[in-house]
Amino acid sequence: MSSIIISESDFLKFKEYFYRKTGMLFEDSKRYFVDKRLIERIEATESDNFRSYFNTLRFEASGDELQQLVNAMTVNETYFFREEYQFKCLVNSMLDEITRHKKDNSPIRIWSVPSASGEEPYSIAIYLLEHWAGIDKWDIEIVSSDIDTKIVAQAKRGHYSTRSVQNLPKPILAKYFIPQAGGYQICEDLRQAVEFSRVNIMEPLDVRNFRDIDVIFCRNLLIYFDNASRRQAAEMFFDSMKAGGFVCLGHSESMSRISSLFRVRKFPDAIVYQKPLEAL
Amino acid sequence: MKHILVIDDASTVRLYHRNILEKAGYSIDEAINGIEALEKALVKSYDLYIVDVNMPKLDGYGFLKEFRRLEDVVQAPAIMVTTEAGANDRTLGYAAGANLYMTKPTKPNELLSYVRLLLGEVAE
Amino acid sequence: MAFIKKQTSQVINEDERKIPRDFDGLCLELNHEDSKVRRWAVRDLAQLPNASSILVTRLEHEENASVRTAILNALAKLGDTIAMNGLVKCLRSEDAALRNEAIEILKELPYEVAPIIEGLLIDADSDVRIFAVNILESLRHQHVEQWLIQVIEKDPHVNVCSTALDLLSEVGTELAVPAIKQLKARFPDEPYICFSAELALQRIEDGSR
Repeated sequence: MSSIIISESDFLKFKEYFYRKTGMLFEDSKRYFVDKRLIERIEATESDNFRSYFNTLRFEASGDELQQLVNAMTVNETYFFREEYQFKCLVNSMLDEITRHKKDNSPIRIWSVPSASGEEPYSIAIYLLEHWAGIDKWDIEIVSSDIDTKIVAQAKRGHYSTRSVQNLPKPILAKYFIPQAGGYQICEDLRQAVEFSRVNIMEPLDVRNFRDIDVIFCRNLLIYFDNASRRQAAEMFFDSMKAGGFVCLGHSESMSRISSLFRVRKFPDAIVYQKPLEAL
Repeated sequence: MKHILVIDDASTVRLYHRNILEKAGYSIDEAINGIEALEKALVKSYDLYIVDVNMPKLDGYGFLKEFRRLEDVVQAPAIMVTTEAGANDRTLGYAAGANLYMTKPTKPNELLSYVRLLLGEVAE
Repeated sequence: MAFIKKQTSQVINEDERKIPRDFDGLCLELNHEDSKVRRWAVRDLAQLPNASSILVTRLEHEENASVRTAILNALAKLGDTIAMNGLVKCLRSEDAALRNEAIEILKELPYEVAPIIEGLLIDADSDVRIFAVNILESLRHQHVEQWLIQVIEKDPHVNVCSTALDLLSEVGTELAVPAIKQLKARFPDEPYICFSAELALQRIEDGSR
């Protein structure tokens, strides 16, 4: 039983600091949630108390502990149709604007990063097939990348647990997945719909292959980066995109902690970020 | 009840203004810079904005300029509150779309009288 | 129409690079009318030594926000004396966006900033002193608290003191208590100072229990 206590004052200090760094705001109702994880981190770092832990956190050169803390405070599960409101926004709003401004018949390019085990890019493909009227009129290219080659290989295989597909409406599951031992296999057509590759977005040479992107889904990745890396990533995205293209971040993420290169846009389903149409 | 968005990167300043204004019966939300302020303003219609100038990512001028050009928001008055006091800064503030300009540190009575004025709560 | 795939290995068309990507070629591209070209030139220059000077010069004329951001990031990466002086110069700019962006970047260069921060904390311009205190917010240096205490003890300008006081709320220890009380006495007619001082004292007291 830990003897470490988080006082009201400690909580306020931590709350302000964390809000400033990440944009995530913890209300008083989240005390139990936050205290528990804070105490875990204090113990894991072998700090004597909140104060010495807070100093470590603030002044650590590598930013590793902040990353650990963010990990601890966020829920990280990946599954199909996670944060579905953004897919709705894609088919209801973003693609309309993109097609309205298109000057040619070049494919619409969507980049999902990180791919993780592929739930996100495959979700995008399914959503487009099911809900976008323009799917018959326009070519779409879905590219997805991750820094981890093992996970890229896993994404290419397209095999998923029951847990991973639990958010999917039954008809969708039946239409695009084949039941298999221990889970489901995504159908061959969908496997072929996404181009997976190994990419480190911090590496300029890796990212230069991504050009003329119309929509980037980068959810729950940048929140784990330090300030300088976030900015760099934002710049990379900016350069890889067509003017007027959109970026979607995770629901608890915001460009306000990342970069001022993009315009904030509100659509009925979501707030997203846009590379300005006119030159900045 | 009137809703005010307090935009400042310093948490103590936001808390100070929050205390003054909540005591006077206003509902307060906070934003740490211009981008966060835009995100909030796009989702909720505020009756008044209190805007600091020097903020990271998007400063007060940048916020106001963008906010004033948005078509799908309800426009509302804005008080610019900042350390700068020169005539040039005030001109910039008004050009960006501020209605009033206050220098820091603010005093509660002065802030409240400006807020009430802009919210049409005081007969002048 | 539907999903298509293209080859992942896209060959960068050699025709796209009409000008060699060496130092001289890149310097030429820095003045190109297309902001995209300028931005790439900045990125490539950031990989070369001796690029600071030309980047600082370009910064003074650059009006495009995304190119400016690229230059500031490049200067941070280069981190040499010329780059640092260029970043510090931005603190004196009339352009609020440029100032604020420079502050953000300087906050992340503790090693490079440490030798010059003390000078900035006593700069003749009170705004520069405020920005210097802002930079201390993320500065990983053992003297941060001591510097803040010195500011609130000695600085004549109320806003410089209030900025320092805000930060002491977060990083202050018992060492700062006498100076905070003294500051309250120095500005008895400033409700904000009173409020902020009380908050800092309370936080420090709670933290020491």
